[in-house]
Amino acid sequence: MTRYGGMGRTRPKKLTSKASIPIIRETDIDIIEDEIQGLQQIETGVEKAEESVSLPTPVGSRDTRPQPIEIHLQAAINASARGKINDAHIPTPETVLSNLRYDELYPPVFSQPATYVRFSSTVEDCCGCPYNMTDEDDVFLKILNQKLGPSARCSEDDFEEVMYFFEETAQTHQPFAAVDSPPVLSYAEMEQSMDAAVEVSVKRFAKDVYDHWKSRRMTTGNRSLLPSLKFETGQDTDDTDPYVCFRRREVRQVRKTRGRDAQSAEKLRRLRKELEDARQLVAYVRQRELARKEMLNTEHQIYMQRSEVKEMKRKLAIKDDDEDLINQKPKKKPAEAPTVQRPSAPQLRMPPKLGAQGAEDLQLLEEVQAEKENEILLDIKQNIAKHIAWNEGYVDFTRAPLSPSPERTFEAAFRPAITTQLPTPPSSDTSEHRLDSVMDTKVPSFQDQLARTMEISEDTSRIPSFRRRVGRGGRLMIDRRNFASRRAEMDPIKADRYKYDDEDSDDEPLFDRSRYDIHIMQHRAIMAAKARDQAVAHAQAQVHAVQAQQRRFQVDHGTPNNGPPNMGHATGSNSGPGAAAVTTET
Amino acid sequence: MGVRDSHGEATGTPDPVEKGFATLNTIRIGVKAMVQKDGELRKAEILSIKQRKDGPAFYVHYVDFNKRLDEWVPASRIDLTQEVEWPQPEKPEKKKTGPGNKAPSKNPQKRARADSRDVSVTPDLLSGKNANIAKAQRPSKAGGKENRGDETPANLSFLGSADGTPKVESEDVDMVDASASEAKGAKEEDKTTGMMSREEELERLRTGGSMTQNPTEIHRVRNLNRLQMGKFEVEPWYFSPYPASFSDVDMVYIDEFCLSYFDNQRAFERHRAKCTLVHPPGNEIYRDDYISFFEVDGRRQRTWCRNLCLLSKLFLDHKTLYYDVDPFLFYCMCSRDETGCHLVGYFSKEKDSAEGYNLACILTLPQYQRRGYGRLLISFSYELSKREGKLGSPEKPLSDLGLLGYRQYWRETLVELLMEPGRESISENELAILTSMTEKDVHETLVVLNMLRYHKGNWVIVLTDAVVEEQKKRLEKEKVKGARKIDPARLQWKPPVFTASSRTWNW
Repeated sequence: MTRYGGMGRTRPKKLTSKASIPIIRETDIDIIEDEIQGLQQIETGVEKAEESVSLPTPVGSRDTRPQPIEIHLQAAINASARGKINDAHIPTPETVLSNLRYDELYPPVFSQPATYVRFSSTVEDCCGCPYNMTDEDDVFLKILNQKLGPSARCSEDDFEEVMYFFEETAQTHQPFAAVDSPPVLSYAEMEQSMDAAVEVSVKRFAKDVYDHWKSRRMTTGNRSLLPSLKFETGQDTDDTDPYVCFRRREVRQVRKTRGRDAQSAEKLRRLRKELEDARQLVAYVRQRELARKEMLNTEHQIYMQRSEVKEMKRKLAIKDDDEDLINQKPKKKPAEAPTVQRPSAPQLRMPPKLGAQGAEDLQLLEEVQAEKENEILLDIKQNIAKHIAWNEGYVDFTRAPLSPSPERTFEAAFRPAITTQLPTPPSSDTSEHRLDSVMDTKVPSFQDQLARTMEISEDTSRIPSFRRRVGRGGRLMIDRRNFASRRAEMDPIKADRYKYDDEDSDDEPLFDRSRYDIHIMQHRAIMAAKARDQAVAHAQAQVHAVQAQQRRFQVDHGTPNNGPPNMGHATGSNSGPGAAAVTTET
Repeated sequence: MGVRDSHGEATGTPDPVEKGFATLNTIRIGVKAMVQKDGELRKAEILSIKQRKDGPAFYVHYVDFNKRLDEWVPASRIDLTQEVEWPQPEKPEKKKTGPGNKAPSKNPQKRARADSRDVSVTPDLLSGKNANIAKAQRPSKAGGKENRGDETPANLSFLGSADGTPKVESEDVDMVDASASEAKGAKEEDKTTGMMSREEELERLRTGGSMTQNPTEIHRVRNLNRLQMGKFEVEPWYFSPYPASFSDVDMVYIDEFCLSYFDNQRAFERHRAKCTLVHPPGNEIYRDDYISFFEVDGRRQRTWCRNLCLLSKLFLDHKTLYYDVDPFLFYCMCSRDETGCHLVGYFSKEKDSAEGYNLACILTLPQYQRRGYGRLLISFSYELSKREGKLGSPEKPLSDLGLLGYRQYWRETLVELLMEPGRESISENELAILTSMTEKDVHETLVVLNMLRYHKGNWVIVLTDAVVEEQKKRLEKEKVKGARKIDPARLQWKPPVFTASSRTWNW
């Protein structure tokens, strides 16, 4: 204790597990140093406790009274401490070679597989019948077999099966035989439990063996003949009985809280629901199978009746093929249409035409389509008429009237030369969803520009304008006004450059300076006219597309009123580009 | 139960020990007498007495010897020329048990307290609480006449104390049947400390999840006489709860592969004719030229694992079979030959150890002991921990043999690492990670070996000459004999994962 004992030395530093400790040989240090002695003393003290109990003791859980150490362990520890490992030996009772006929009992049947063994069968799977004959049984069986004669002898395996059957039956009938000691199960009771699962051999020898089994049971106080371990019986003595083993461990108690209660209630509810669902499912399956059975019955009935028909036909010498003896599934759908169109077609005379029916179907589809198309057109016309009727007696002041008369548009004296965007060429829209975007964006954008034309027209005196006149002799004249003469500033080549500029941007910053340049104006005018024509063509194309769409729709859905809401309007644009304006402006 | 002064006498606490001469007739359970053992006289406690044809036989436990050396001795080996120690009398003021309770002071019978051999000898930590169990009446001064009960069969003698007690009112001897008396005691008096702790013990066992010893420890006398297993005949060391009827037969037969047990040779031979098992019923996870390891799940192979536990209980004092085998995995080491894979030893491991144990019970079967198998088992358990990426330690308490085995393994493993060329310093943490040992085990091993020292203001690890010498010898020996080591490359194993539900106890 010299070092820690206040001899003026410093206390040793605390040793942490992460601290790196230098490794040295014993020769490198001064053995005489008293530090070592001191430490050694302390450590032997620690070890003493370890040797007895403290080393293996989990913290705080056990009795830690110092206990004397067993002599042999002490000796062994001391020996190993002195480095004499071989002396560290604790005597144990000896084992000797047995004189058992080992080779007979353990035949050399094991061949090691190349791969590691994988195995999941249980002991019960591997041991055959759990009952094993004893010497006593041997004697009995010998006598029995003498009695039975060589032809009907009971083999050892059969005997064990029988005994095991008795044991098992007794166990199920009298599970607490060891406790309440009821009388041994009678043979009659045994016989009762012989069901189909019991082997024939068992049944054959049961009667012969029963008495033997009974006498053996009697001698053991009606306890099981198979040696069995003692398990919990739920009695108080369980806890102290050293023979009671392998108890079931209680699940750790979980703290009871309101939340936990709710949780388990919820779990139960869910479980119940799931079970209910499963039950329902099974019920449905049952229902389905019943229905199936019903169907089969019906089919059978039908078949029988058909065969009767056939019989009858034969009797009556009606000659045709066996058409009415089989189900004609494909007939069902077409059967409707023909009956509508040719209601008089008699069933029995149909068969020769059967081959042509497919072609008829196609034709029919086209007819239906034509009919639907007509309906659509009719609808469109009706819509137009309706619009006209609505507007009767009213002056249309909307900026873009329903159907602007082309005369009036072109009668306008001077049209301001507005820079308009080059309209996008109509995209080839065939898909259904393109339809909406076409209606909502393309046409309106063109329409917008027209509207803008109107707006700015109040101010026409200031912006450059032009008009077209047809003069005498059919001369086409274009009058213009408010032109600033800035033509020098714009190089035609430069101007040309803008021609192919991208048309995506809505504003037109590029044209700012050259806006009223004559070339550009001309170009613009031409383009605008073209655009108008294109728009008209476009709109018409759209109408067609819409109609086609609708047709498709109707074919698909069967009803013409099922289309998207704006379809009714769109159909109105049939008459011209102005019609398209209606869709957006109103 | 009023007997709470149990511990200590044997440990040298100053309780006065009553001594006196005894005769064969007055000797009773609890008496300590000198008994011939291997040519010398040793103090031994009488644990059980039974009448044989050739006179009484005494089951004795030699003080300071391990229980496994307990044995039946004939009367001739007991030296009655020397005084014997009588069991500690019961403290009268504590003796209030029993319905028709007499005032303690009036009680003429001094209650003998079962003297705690177990306390004194085994490192059994629970033992102090169990003194009541083997309680026997101390003979009155008159001596002799209470002895007629001595014909008690061995396996009952420690239960049915009535036989060994003087004729007194039954309530005075009730404590032997622990549960009954406990119930009474609980009603009639405030709970004694001992009883409390007993209940605590039970509770702790229930909830603790560790395979520690059965607290009641009634099983102080071996119940099986001899064991036939494989090619060997083995002497059991400790009690194991095989069917009670097995204690009546001379030889119990154990099937080497399925570990089933038979008290009848004919039945055993019949069984062998049917049994097809040739290796432990699990997956092989390790194989080298010498041994194989099988992993067996206690839950899936309940019967086999129970059989294994029953068998190993015969050789493990600290093991308890109190609870079932479900929460454990069993790693079984086998040697192979043409008849199959013969179980050599095993260790069990909790599927989910709260305390971070990497091993619960470890056993090399006695017929294979002292051949280095234990070291392989220990080594394998650490190999599994390495694969898991965890540090581990064996569950405590260790038996004497277990302690020696582990110390040797720890010492050799650490010394080998420390002597690696070029290693100049290392921390305990690094050692722990390299070996999968816990830091605590590393530290304690270094301390025990006197290798960790404080030198000139710094901690150093000293490779002592003894240690170096030993290591050299070991290496030489390995050169000659070939080293038997676990080769991690041959381990085909992934740490098994268990869902919470599979770890619980639902059957």
